Amino acid sequence: MTNYGMVIDLERCIGCHACAVSCSQENNVSLDQQWNRILTEGGDSMDTPEGKYPEDGRDGTLSMNHLPMACQHCENAPCVKVCPVNATYKRDDGIVAIDYDKCMGCRYCMSACPYNARVFNYDEPETLPAEGTGNVEQREQGVVEKCTFCSHRVEEDLDPACTVACPADARIFGDLDDEESTVSRYINKYETDQLLEELETDPNTYYVRGDMTPGRKRHGNELEGTEKKEVGNPDGVATDGGESE
Amino acid sequence: MSTRRDSGVVVPQFGTRGKAWLALLGIVIVAGLAAWGYQLSRGLAVTGMDNVFSWGLYIMLFVFFIGLSAGGLIISSAPKFFHSKRYDSLAALGVLVSLGCIVVAGLLILPDLGKPSRVTGFLTSPDFRSPMVWDFGIVLLYGLFNVGYLWLLTRRDLAKMGSQLAFGVEDTPAGRERDRKLAFWAAAVAMPLAIALHSVTGWIFATQIGRGDWFNPLVAPMFIMKALVSGLALLLVTAIVVDRVTRFRMPRELVPELGKVLGIFVAVHIVYLVAAERLPHAWAANFEFWSITSAFLVGDTVHFWLWTVVGGAVPIALLAVPSWRRKVGVVFAASVAAIVGILFEGVYLIFTGYRDLNIDASPGVTTGTDYTGIGSDVWATVGSYTPTLIELLVTLGIVAVGAMIVTLGLRFLPVQPGGRKPSAVEAGETEKSDAETPPDAAVADGGYVVDGTDGDRR
Repeated sequence: MTNYGMVIDLERCIGCHACAVSCSQENNVSLDQQWNRILTEGGDSMDTPEGKYPEDGRDGTLSMNHLPMACQHCENAPCVKVCPVNATYKRDDGIVAIDYDKCMGCRYCMSACPYNARVFNYDEPETLPAEGTGNVEQREQGVVEKCTFCSHRVEEDLDPACTVACPADARIFGDLDDEESTVSRYINKYETDQLLEELETDPNTYYVRGDMTPGRKRHGNELEGTEKKEVGNPDGVATDGGESE
Repeated sequence: MSTRRDSGVVVPQFGTRGKAWLALLGIVIVAGLAAWGYQLSRGLAVTGMDNVFSWGLYIMLFVFFIGLSAGGLIISSAPKFFHSKRYDSLAALGVLVSLGCIVVAGLLILPDLGKPSRVTGFLTSPDFRSPMVWDFGIVLLYGLFNVGYLWLLTRRDLAKMGSQLAFGVEDTPAGRERDRKLAFWAAAVAMPLAIALHSVTGWIFATQIGRGDWFNPLVAPMFIMKALVSGLALLLVTAIVVDRVTRFRMPRELVPELGKVLGIFVAVHIVYLVAAERLPHAWAANFEFWSITSAFLVGDTVHFWLWTVVGGAVPIALLAVPSWRRKVGVVFAASVAAIVGILFEGVYLIFTGYRDLNIDASPGVTTGTDYTGIGSDVWATVGSYTPTLIELLVTLGIVAVGAMIVTLGLRFLPVQPGGRKPSAVEAGETEKSDAETPPDAAVADGGYVVDGTDGDRR
């Protein structure tokens, strides 16, 4: 069986927000929402550090990290269990999906999700350009939506848009059930944690923190085990920012 | 031939005040419908909710009205279960009020939905893991049960006055005896049903790991207790108002008696259960004796104080003094305070769930409501919520539907058992302190002004 998951290497994340931008672009996300957010672990504002600036030759204490956040695609997904009408469900391949034609907009899933990964279309979705972007149909007003692991791309054997967009190779997408996949090898090799582990949601998204993860070997332009599957979407349009053209 | 008058209909016809009251309710309902229409056309963007604070007034009041619906059913069914005639004079009125409240609660779900037309999904593709599906089922069952139970309690009197609502039932002594037995069985169903309703509604919140204090095994017992408090308080308020503006006569000795029961309910709820809920947290999170004590006793939001002081300390103080609770006005005030307190408990519960994010690093969560153009700040790291006028209008409209149900019930159903001498004849109560309300005299002189107002503003 396939069980898709993601590893996000926080030692590699440079906080550039490219994954968030490409997510909104690829998935036609309204401008008042983001499925994929890059949080700053540091100061009170985005991209600011906490601590003191080094003065008078002393050591400073400045520190800042970034935490990319999106749907964690939990094994024990509370949102799936609360959905009264089966609109949110766990697919056989591990992706937590939403049937936008069934969702009645009760927002119980939003209160169930401890990660605040879900957004609701309070307003008519608004995009620039107005006719939409990317390769996913616009969702209606009045339904809940969230990260789908780019299921439309995964079904075409492509990596999610965020994974492709990451210039630091901090995101790795793959099959957690396959012991040989890069995600599995990463989880086995490095210390990884799942967000809010104590809530027992058992996310399919793992974060690598702590000691610097050694660089993976390069094969030509690619890092070991992370050949990016990026071209070949249904419309034949590149979603990698045009790099492959 | 019996007439409506002595069959127990407390509003034989609507007077001027009654018609004015109905017109007012009608206007409020129409205004609510118009507001809902506007909300449907513009989407939930016209509410105060956003992606962080994703449930607002509708759900707060849903919880509140679920609780309010408890009182009547408990008061009417608990004595019947023990084959007692106590509170018989309040039984039909109580179930009528319960019915009005459960209808309001059920209707409040509709405007909360982003796609109300898809509410049929509850029937076509339910997920039985969802506490909301359990609640949908139990609210429906409870509502239908209230209708049936109300009919059971009034059908012989309806037959007696020749109402079509009797649906062919005859008024015979044997039939009344049979209904009394049936009422026992109905009561045996009513109590577990009520307990299930309030617990399941509590479990909607208590099962959620992601929303702070919601994940708390005490929530369901708290819901039962606050249903008893607010439900009984509402029944007292309604009975006192209906007593004043219609022919309905509430036996005076029930006022201090039920007032005492209410005081005990409030004490168990606010003093005992709240303490039981807060103490372990306060103890575990603090070190010094006084910091434990203050964390235990001092709340941090205005909702908390409205709940525990207005809804707790005030009614307990008013009801604890025997000479005070014999005064109708005092019991009335205490009941209103208890209701207000429970309203703010619901508000408090929702706020504790939505105020803080589990992962609140900046910039936080996109609100989904704040985009006004390039450069707008669509982020939030704490939940905040103020209901909008639209939400208030829709809510008031739905509450008016409930008030309308109660009003029409008073007009067409014989809620006063045994006609105009309820307490003496049926309920076995002695009318010792009826100086203020001599029902017989009022009826006999035929000059009693009859109005349809029940003033039941809940």
